[in-house]
Parts: sequence; C-alpha cells; structure tokens
Amino acid sequence: MSLTSVLRLILCVLLAQYASALWPIPRSLSTGTSPLKLSPRFAVRLEISTPPADLLSAVSRTRARLQSDRFERLVLGRASADAKTVHAAPVLASLTVSLTAGSPIRTVAEETTQDIDARSESYVLIVTDHPPTATLSANLTLGLLRGLTTFEQLWYSNSQGTKYLLSAPLFVEDAPAFPYRGFSLDTSRNFYPVADILRTLDAMSWVKLSVLYWHVIDSQSFPLEVEAFPELSAKGAYSAAEVYTRNDIQHIIQHANERGIDVVMELDSPGHTTAISAAHPEHIACPAKSPWSKYANEPPAGQLRIASPSTLAFARTLFSSVAAALPGTMMSSGGDEVNLPCWTEDQQTMSDLARRNITISDALNEFVQTIQGVIKEYGKTPFIKSDMVLTHNAPVVNDTVVVVWQTSQDAASVADRGLRLIHQPSNYFYLDCGAGEWLGNDILGNSWCDPFKTWQRAYSFDPYANLTADQHDLVLGGQMPLWSEQSSPENLDPIVWPRLAAGAEVFWTGARLPDGSPRLGQNTTSSTHALARLNELRYRLVDRGVNAIALQPKWCVLRPGECDLDS
Amino acid sequence: MKLFALRVVVLLAAAYSPVEALWPQPQNIQTGSETLRLAPGFQITVVGHGVPGDLIAAVGRTKQYLFQDRLERLVVGRGAVDAPTFSKAKVLSRLTLSLAKGASFASITSEAQKAPEDRDEAYHLVVPADGSGATITANSTLGLFRGLTTFSQLWYAHDNTVYTISAPVTIQDAPAYPYRGLMLDTARNYYPVADIKRTLDAMSWVKINQFHWHIVDSQSFPLQVPGFTDLAEKGAYSSSQVYTQSDVRDIVSYAGARGIDVMVEIDTPGHTAIIAEAHPDFVACPQATPWATYANEPPAGQLRFANATVTNYVANLFSAVAKLFPSTLFSTGGDELNTNCYDIDTPTQAALNATGRTLEQALDVFTQETHRALEAKGKTPVVWEEMVLVHNVTLSKETKVLVWISSDNVKAVAQKGYKLIHAASDYFYLDCGAGGWVGNFPSGNSWCDPFKTWQHSYSFDPVANLTAEESKLVLGGQHLLWAEQSGPQNVDPIVWPRAASSAELFWSGPGGNLSTALPRLHDVAYRFRQRGVNAISLQPEWCALRPGACDLTA
Repeated sequence: MSLTSVLRLILCVLLAQYASALWPIPRSLSTGTSPLKLSPRFAVRLEISTPPADLLSAVSRTRARLQSDRFERLVLGRASADAKTVHAAPVLASLTVSLTAGSPIRTVAEETTQDIDARSESYVLIVTDHPPTATLSANLTLGLLRGLTTFEQLWYSNSQGTKYLLSAPLFVEDAPAFPYRGFSLDTSRNFYPVADILRTLDAMSWVKLSVLYWHVIDSQSFPLEVEAFPELSAKGAYSAAEVYTRNDIQHIIQHANERGIDVVMELDSPGHTTAISAAHPEHIACPAKSPWSKYANEPPAGQLRIASPSTLAFARTLFSSVAAALPGTMMSSGGDEVNLPCWTEDQQTMSDLARRNITISDALNEFVQTIQGVIKEYGKTPFIKSDMVLTHNAPVVNDTVVVVWQTSQDAASVADRGLRLIHQPSNYFYLDCGAGEWLGNDILGNSWCDPFKTWQRAYSFDPYANLTADQHDLVLGGQMPLWSEQSSPENLDPIVWPRLAAGAEVFWTGARLPDGSPRLGQNTTSSTHALARLNELRYRLVDRGVNAIALQPKWCVLRPGECDLDS
Repeated sequence: MKLFALRVVVLLAAAYSPVEALWPQPQNIQTGSETLRLAPGFQITVVGHGVPGDLIAAVGRTKQYLFQDRLERLVVGRGAVDAPTFSKAKVLSRLTLSLAKGASFASITSEAQKAPEDRDEAYHLVVPADGSGATITANSTLGLFRGLTTFSQLWYAHDNTVYTISAPVTIQDAPAYPYRGLMLDTARNYYPVADIKRTLDAMSWVKINQFHWHIVDSQSFPLQVPGFTDLAEKGAYSSSQVYTQSDVRDIVSYAGARGIDVMVEIDTPGHTAIIAEAHPDFVACPQATPWATYANEPPAGQLRFANATVTNYVANLFSAVAKLFPSTLFSTGGDELNTNCYDIDTPTQAALNATGRTLEQALDVFTQETHRALEAKGKTPVVWEEMVLVHNVTLSKETKVLVWISSDNVKAVAQKGYKLIHAASDYFYLDCGAGGWVGNFPSGNSWCDPFKTWQHSYSFDPVANLTAEESKLVLGGQHLLWAEQSGPQNVDPIVWPRAASSAELFWSGPGGNLSTALPRLHDVAYRFRQRGVNAISLQPEWCALRPGACDLTA
C-alpha cells in the first residue's frame, strides 16, 4: 500500500468518525479534519433587519443548548481523547445568520403552516477554520431554524463545557427530500400530559421532523375540549384532569409551529368514536356492544350513526368547531376500520337508511363528502385513512392526502388512483408492535403487527417502492405512529426514541442516501455508519433530558465497528 | 331476574372487587363488603421490646404510602363512586404488629439475608370492620414486613379519605417458594444507585425477596473491590459509572431493610473480557475477531482458567467480593463458555500441556478452587445451568442452579439432584423482542423472540414434568433484565409491571387465573406510578376501569 493510500484511508476513517454526528444526514455535506472550538462569548449575529420573535427564540434556544449540552464525543476516553487537539484549536466567535436578499421575512410558525407543497426548509451552513467563521443562510426563516438545528449537532463538549468540533472546514447544503416528516401520537387510549407532548415536540425538532399528526380522540376517551360541545370531553375524557383544554391546544400548536412542526389533528370518524356516546348516546351505534370482536377491531365497539341527519349535522359542527381553532392547512378525518355489523344491527341506522332509501355505502359516502367539505371550508387539505379509499371506495376530493397504514403494499394502490399519500405502514413504522397482546385472557396472544419494528427496519423503507416515476410526486412523506394501548407517559420516551429518528432521516434524505447509495446497502446500518450517528443522537437526547433507549452496550457505542455482526 | 341469577352476578362482581387488588394474591383471604376509613391520626405500633430500626423505618414508610399513594380505585367514576359510603363508615385508628409467642426480634435485614430455605415470611393480618384495631402477627420481622406490604395495598383514596370497601379482612399468608427474584445486568449498560434503589422499593411492594445482581460482564466492570480496585478503575465505563464499596453497602442495606437479599454474580470464566483492561495476562482471546467465533456477543475474552495464577486470583477476588455481600448466596456464573477462545490461546494450551489436563479437567479444578474460596466464606455457590448440564465439573451438592437457556432443561437439572431457580429465557427474559442490537444486521431479530408478556410468564408451571421429589428442588424463580438494549432510561417501563407476574407466581403458586389477575395487575401498575415508578400501561385506561370488558372473548 502506498503512503498516499494509507493517508487516504486514515482520512476516510477520520471522516467517518468526526463528521458522523449529524442526524438526519444532510443532502450535501463536506467536512475536513481540523478542530475548532466555540468562544466562551460565542454569539449568533442575525443579519436580518426585523427578525421575527420566534426566530429570535430559536436563536436563544440554540445558544442556551450550546451552553448547557454536556455531551462528550463517543470515543474511548471521551472528551479527554481530544484534549490536546482542542487546546490548540482556533476559536469561533460567532455564527452569522442571514436570509437570502429579497426573501420575505415571515415567522417560523407562518412558514411551518404553509401549504405542504409550498414549504422551503433549505439552508446553507458554512464553517471555516482559517479564519474561524460560520455562516448560515436560507431563503426563509424555517430554513434558518433547520440550519440552527444542524449547527447545534456539530459540537461536542469537554468536561469544562468547552464546545468543539473536529471536522472543520465544513460545508452543508441541505433540504429535505419530502416536506411531510411526521410522528403520530394517540392520546386517547391513554392520556399524555401537555408537558410530555411538549418534550416530544422538542425532540422531534432536533431531528427536523415537520409534522405532529395528533390522533387526539378515539373510542376509549375524548380528551379534546371542543368549543361547540364541551360536554364531549366533560363526559368522555378519562377524568377532568385528562383533558386538552382549548388553551392547551393553542399552547401545543404554538410550541410546535415555532419549532418547525405543523400539527395535523385527526378526528377519527365514523369509526373509533364510541367515547362520544358518553355525552351523546343518540349519535353512536352499537356502543360497547358485546362481543366486541364482532363490532370493532378492539373494544369498545361503537361508531357514528352515519345515516342519521342529526348525527351528520353534529359531525359537521364538531369538525367546524375544531377546524376553526387550528392554524394549519391540514386536517384528518381518519376513517379506518369501519365495521358493518355495527350499523346493520343498529335499529336506528337501519330505519334511517330505509326512510331515506339509501344504502349504508351511500351513507358512508355522504359522511365522507360532508366532512371533507367542512375541512375544505376551513382552507385545509383533508387527510383520510387508506382503507376508506381502498376498501370502501369513498369518493374523496382530488387533493386528499391518504394515510397508508395497513401495509406498505397499499401505497401503489393509492397512487394508482392518482391520490397523494403519506407512508405510515404498520409493517415498517408502527412503534407499538411487538409488545405482546394487550387484550385480557389471551395467554398466547402476540402483537397483531409483530414483530417489533427495529430502527433498521424503519430505516430500510423505500418511499418510492413499487411506484412509477410519475407517481413519485404523489408521495408527500411519511410518519411513524405510536398507538397507545400499551403506552402512556411512563414509556413514551423509550418507546419512541431513538427509533423515530429513523423515520426522520428516511423522509429527509429520500429513497437513497445523499451519496446515492441505497439505504440498506453494504454496511449502511453498521456502527461505523448510520448506527454510529444514531448512537450519538441517542446520547444527545439523553443529555437533553429525553429518555431515549440504549441501542447497544456502551462498550459497543465507544468502539464503532466492533459490535457489527461481521466484525 | 331470579334470585339464583342475581347471586351469580354478585359473585362475578365480587371476583373483581377491590380487595382483589392485592398482589401477590395471599394464600388465604376472607373479606367483607364494609367500608372502613383510616383515621387521620392513624397509628401503627409494634408490641414488644427490642424492635429493630429497619422495622420502625418500614412502619414509617407504610404510613407514608397509606396517606400519599392517593390511588383512586380503578372503576368507572373512580373514587367518587365510593364516596357515598364514607359517612357511615367506621374508622380504623390503629394497626398493631406483634411477634408470635416465643419469637424474638431480629432485624428484617438479618431475616431476609438468611438462606432461602430458612426465611420465614408468613404473617397473619386481621382488619376488623368495626373500627377496632387491626393486627399483624408473624414469627419474624420479615413476616411482619410482608404483612405491612399487604396492608398498604388494601387502601384507596378519594379526596382526603383513605378507605377500603372490603372490610373485614382476614389474611393468612406465606409464600409458596422461598426464592422470588429479579436479576439486573449493570455491565452492558450502567444504572445509577438511585435507579437500583427505586427498583428495590418496587420489588418489595410485590414481595420479591432476592436481587440477583449481575454486576460485571465482558463490557464493563463497575464494581469497586477492595484489593482489586484496578478492575473498576480500568474496566468501568467511566469513573462516575462505578459502584463504590459504600454504594454497595448502601444498596445491600437498602435492600435488606426491604426484605430483599442481594445475590451478587461475578460471572466466570466467560463474560470476563473486561478484566483484560487491568490484567491482560489473565484473559484469553480478548476482543478476538470475528467475535461470533469466540463469544456469544462482542467483545470476546475469557479468563485463562487453566492457569493456576488466574485461578488463585479469581479465588481471592471471590473472597474479597464475598465480604461485601452478606447473602448466603453467591453466583459464580458459568454460562456460555466458548472453547474456540481457548483453542487459539497459546498460554492456555501451554498450561494444559504442562498439567496434562483437558480443558474440561482444568475447568473442574478452577471451579472447585474458586468455589472452595466461597464456601470458606460461608457462601453457597449458584451457577448457570451449563455448569451442570454441559460441563463435567465437581460441584457441592448445596450448589443452586439457575436454569436460563430453556425451561425444557429444568427436568435435567432436577434429575441431577440440584436445587434450582427458574430463570428461563422462554418465560422470564424481560429484554426479548426488541430486535437485534449488533450493527450491520438490518434484519436481525431478538435471539429470544418474542417479547415475554406478563400473561406468558404468569402461565409458567414451576413443577412441569417434575416428580414430587424433584419438585422439592425448586427454590423459586425470577425475571431477568439483560441490559444490551436497556439502561436507566427504560428500566421502569421494561420491568414493571411484568416482573410482578413472577412475583405472584412464586408467592401464590402457579395456576392463577389471567382474567382475575389482570385487574389486580392494573392496580399494581397504577399504584406504582403513584409511588414514582414508571410502570407501563397494560391496556387503555378504558379497559383498566372495566374489568373483563377487554378480554379476548368479551
């Protein structure tokens, strides 16, 4: 081996280690191997004439984290391994932040709630060591937020709290492959206090997720305070303390939007609505009817009486009242797992159908059209679950976004209908799978969506699988959901993190890694590549108070490459 | 409705009545349906002279739980549905603890640290409905402590009323098995002392009496051993990830005061690669690659047990560790010995040649000498099953055997006449089902898939396929948390309430009913949360409030 090839090899190894920190990996990244440290008086200089308040807050948070983060590089000896190098490193005094000339200056929250197709999150981050400079620029404030997030991930701490990196100079030109990069949380099966949701939003923003898809209500409880029907949560929540008040909702949405996260609220209907019967029994067919397995996919049974004009009017008002308070441009009516026997054995539904001389299918179509109409009235794009389209052939509006959930195979069927979609397939992305049966008296029961979806499994997802090139534009992105039959605040962090980051990188980087290699190519998930970065993210999350699970013994984490299957 | 049908309904309701919230289920229990309130100045007194400090402390904790649990009964409407009965309810102002005639006070700690077969955990609890004093009697302070634990589970709170709706209560209770454990691996990832203490508290709430501390392994050596401090200095993940001698004393006494004995495990001769950091000469095939040839997981590395110096060293190490742990039990491990590691190890081959021993003969010498050092300290060795089933080593008949590879191996261990502890991976491993953790293996699944549900553990039969004589060899069993994919971040939700299922299995005996267990287990999880332990949700709260409504066939 020649000297140059030895040197090149060393450089490659160094590159692999030092620049391994970023998650999601930027679309374009070049790094050097020189050290740089932050001045104790490090400043962020905003070269924006009238910076919006939420951008200023974002800058403050970045500066605060650059102070408080204590994460040491994952290497034998931790920060002490770098002590000599850091001692002599050039000092970076500031990061200059600017918008491209002529760009509109809007708040991060405004940019975050733009139409999903109209968002721009791109940014350019340049860090040099001779002389030490750092500049971040973007077309929009949302891009600046993403760039600040990347900037924060560049730095390691030593035991004195000095922040340094080993990969200068550094050039990042970045933009997401997909605008929709989400996390879906079910707050109905079990309730999550606001603080848990806010902490989750913080962590989401650190991996550049852009949407919280909030499955807020379901058959088990109705924790959403609705202005038009306060009795729904008063009687349908688990307790008075387990309600998201209208203030809570605004607080959560604002917290999210300022962190570049839009909130898509789902009012799942017409199934998954039994909790409404606590306040309005007249609107629910087959409430808690037994045996539940005949009338629902899980207990308790109960669905809206879609054939009843008064129930339809109720649903209209419900959606209007909720939609009116949501600043975003997307809203979901759910629509999964409707059950026919629930209606056919409901005397009132059958007499409504007979009186109106329509079929149950007509009634379902009418319901979907009505609700989508309300969502459109409020200027929002309607989302719907894939079985409503694929199983029930519901006549959805053209700009509907379909949530593909049953299996990844369904994406192509949805695309064949020319509908836009987000990926949420249970066979890749369900965070709750693999924890065993939760129904009682089922000794051998396993999770219906076994096995557990590892981060590698989620990471292996191809957003364009089975789609033709001209269908690619129909894919807005995807999300990993947490269904909460077996989850609650007690395990929220460890069941979500760091696995959710796998989905975040899939939809930031797209079907292939930035270097063009397939996501599950040679060594991709080895601990010298993606796993090294993910281990680092996990330790950063823990450092910031999020209880992300250990992916490996710490012995392995400190020795990239030594705990691979083939090492 | 006919009277007969009415009675059936009442009986069914009674099956889900709140006194069923006790966990583990007592051996004998009679309850009524009167509401009884705790007096605001409720007192617990211990009758007799020489009451030990740890019993007094346990009384203090019990009083705190009684008034600070604030657990509302798990029923639709929660505690409010019981409120109408409060005004007419009698008030209980005193619980009196006393030892049976002839018994004398010793600390809970010393009773708990006896050999499993010598522990006396039986108690008799009476709570009259008329407000006259409640009593717990037992032969030992350990029994009194178990009675206190049961007593604290009887009560719910609503507003400022602490009450039961099941008075009078009479319980005669004692465990089916003397060893009811939980194993924690603190080597793959480290757990701060506070997390271990919180876990010990939770263990005591379900009457687990054995903490099996798999404290070191190939990945790290977090135990500070007097005379052997270089092991932790060089082998811990960091200087802050060490259990100092005072940490160990603290944990052992914290456990003892809660009726828990601490059995330490120094796994040998495998699972010891980390010793090479301090003593490279003692370890064969350290970090040899490919690791899969030389170990079950990375890093490879095992003690050179054929070498007399190493044997001596380990015997002395065992003696030093034994002094830190008052338990009669000491686990020397012995699992997953890899022979390839020794085949390529020149010093081992040289030592074998010099002594004319086979590897198995050398292992026998090593085992006998290291165990002898423990026995000299009054310890009973505990080993993983391979030491009995795979290797031909001489063990004292007192040796206890942990059956882990498969529950199918229980019979073979029993046939060899050893007392055994159930720790089968196919029933009790808490870490299974989370996917593979080695890198570059995207399709890797957990080796012990699937996830072990509480129902699965609960259904375990400790004497399956055993004769009556062999059944007597079963000391009990335990859940285990191996920590490749766990750490302080998830210890509560991955352990609780699942580990409670074996706690009941080995206290109450097998054959429990899943349908009636589930509402009680919900109660455990909800009470744990009130006490600051992040027990996972087993079901939607809708189901937790409606026993039976979410059964498979409901």
